[in-house]
Amino acid sequence: MLHLLQVDLKKLFNYRTFWIICGLYFLTLGMATASGMEFLKWLASTFKDFGSKLNIERIPLYHFPDVWQNLAWGSGLLKMMLGIMVIISITNEYQYRTIRQNIIDGMSREQFILSKLFTNLVLSLASMVLVFVVALITGFIYSPEISFPYMFAGVEFCASYFLEVFAFLSFALMLGILIQRSGLSIVILFSSYLIELIIKKNIDDYVPGLIPFFPLESIMNLVPLPFARYAFQEIQDYVSFGSVAIALGWTFLFNYFGYLRLKKSDI
Amino acid sequence: METVLSINKLTKTFGRITAVNKLDLEVKKGQVFGFLGPNGSGKTTTLGMLMGVVNPTAGSFSWFGQVVTNETRKKIGAFLEHPIFYPYLSGQKNLELTAMIKGAPADHIARVLDVVELTSRKDDAYKTYSLGMKQRLAIASALLNDPIVLILDEPTNGLDPMGIAEIRNIIKKIAADGKTIILASHLLDEVQKVCSHFAVLRRGVLMHSGAVDEVGKGEETVEVAAYHDDLGCALQEFVGTLSLKRDNANVIIKLKEGYNSQDVNRFLYEKGIVASHLLTQKKSLEKQFLEILAEADSIKK
Repeated sequence: MLHLLQVDLKKLFNYRTFWIICGLYFLTLGMATASGMEFLKWLASTFKDFGSKLNIERIPLYHFPDVWQNLAWGSGLLKMMLGIMVIISITNEYQYRTIRQNIIDGMSREQFILSKLFTNLVLSLASMVLVFVVALITGFIYSPEISFPYMFAGVEFCASYFLEVFAFLSFALMLGILIQRSGLSIVILFSSYLIELIIKKNIDDYVPGLIPFFPLESIMNLVPLPFARYAFQEIQDYVSFGSVAIALGWTFLFNYFGYLRLKKSDI
Repeated sequence: METVLSINKLTKTFGRITAVNKLDLEVKKGQVFGFLGPNGSGKTTTLGMLMGVVNPTAGSFSWFGQVVTNETRKKIGAFLEHPIFYPYLSGQKNLELTAMIKGAPADHIARVLDVVELTSRKDDAYKTYSLGMKQRLAIASALLNDPIVLILDEPTNGLDPMGIAEIRNIIKKIAADGKTIILASHLLDEVQKVCSHFAVLRRGVLMHSGAVDEVGKGEETVEVAAYHDDLGCALQEFVGTLSLKRDNANVIIKLKEGYNSQDVNRFLYEKGIVASHLLTQKKSLEKQFLEILAEADSIKK
């Protein structure tokens, strides 16, 4: 198992594009999540109304335990960059036909897809660890008081953020296997949000109960938007079991569809 | 002799086209097996099925008499059609990756690079290699895990005469080590020079399979010339003559089995005719190949 991961990482670690995209991603992720207060200050100085209506110092963006959900949600916006990297990694194998040679050399198709899957796991884990560390540090800096059991209330959002990234990367991997061309796959990855939105809007009036079962919707529902609570609105400040179950189901299906396609095709 | 590969009614269809049709074939240990056929005759498709990248429509095959898994392929060194490597990786790194997949010891890499004489360029990116170097790297990669069988598909395709000679020498060197080699090619000359056995495939159907040595056997054809007006008539009387043809100043006779050019020479001498030119035409693989294909055509018609 570890061996398969090593094979895929060897392909990536010597590939400059991988370092550029992943470097940019983790840099942006770390910086963006840590500079929320700076962002609020910028908002306050740019828009006169914003500062006068709200005292930004009183928004507990980085206070324990709010920080977990806030950062998990914000970080989720950046996963598109990793999705593009995953698509490049798999479509390269088709473009260079190296997937063919890998199998001739003695990999099974299962092993090939597993090697890609393990890389997805590593990328998701790394994202989660980074967000966890940033949340912990900023929490210590900004929180007025720190009490041990209380500060980790909501840390489960880190886990659901991990699932969010992994589910999304599984979706990207599947697109790459089905489409096999990098440009087209990336365009479809972007437009799938739009397509899903249009479908959701059209069926919203008739079968609203179906909405949470849409694939990208289910991934978004893993970490619900938290910021409305600062405008005194009710939010979902827990990870719902239903969302996790649906997202897990889709993650399994994405990978299974990819595997099925790979198994049946001549390469 | 031990059977390395046994193919049983292997078939592959793409839509309406049958690329490989009920192919039966056996390759024994130590053979250098030439796999012949015109372009598009199903050679690469067959090899693709044997190497697990093309799913067969029907039929089966077995390597080393065992059920085939991905582990089986690790004991085979192969590249199909053209060399495939990661263009941004160096030759060395590409081979390291192959070694990881095949489970080959890393210290084999230096040795195989030496065999194909690429050691001096091993740290350059694969995309900077010339075609001949790419081809040689592919052979190195195929040799990496001390394979029991080597499959080479058009290994000299697109190479200049020097490159072709180099690759041919490498193949001969490997064959001398007692490895089984399956060599797909449409270059008959090449197959005749290096192979011990061969099979001919045409439109996915096996037309012929046998030893290369046997190609030259059977009736002989002898080309004769002499300063004599009636050479043709004289030769007509020779008991060993099967048929006779005039070609400019020469007479070409096809001999019955059991007769050869010596008998012709003796006969002429006894008749008081001295031959100025006597040439035994050895049947080349090319000739045999074209005959096999022509036979197939006439059967179809």
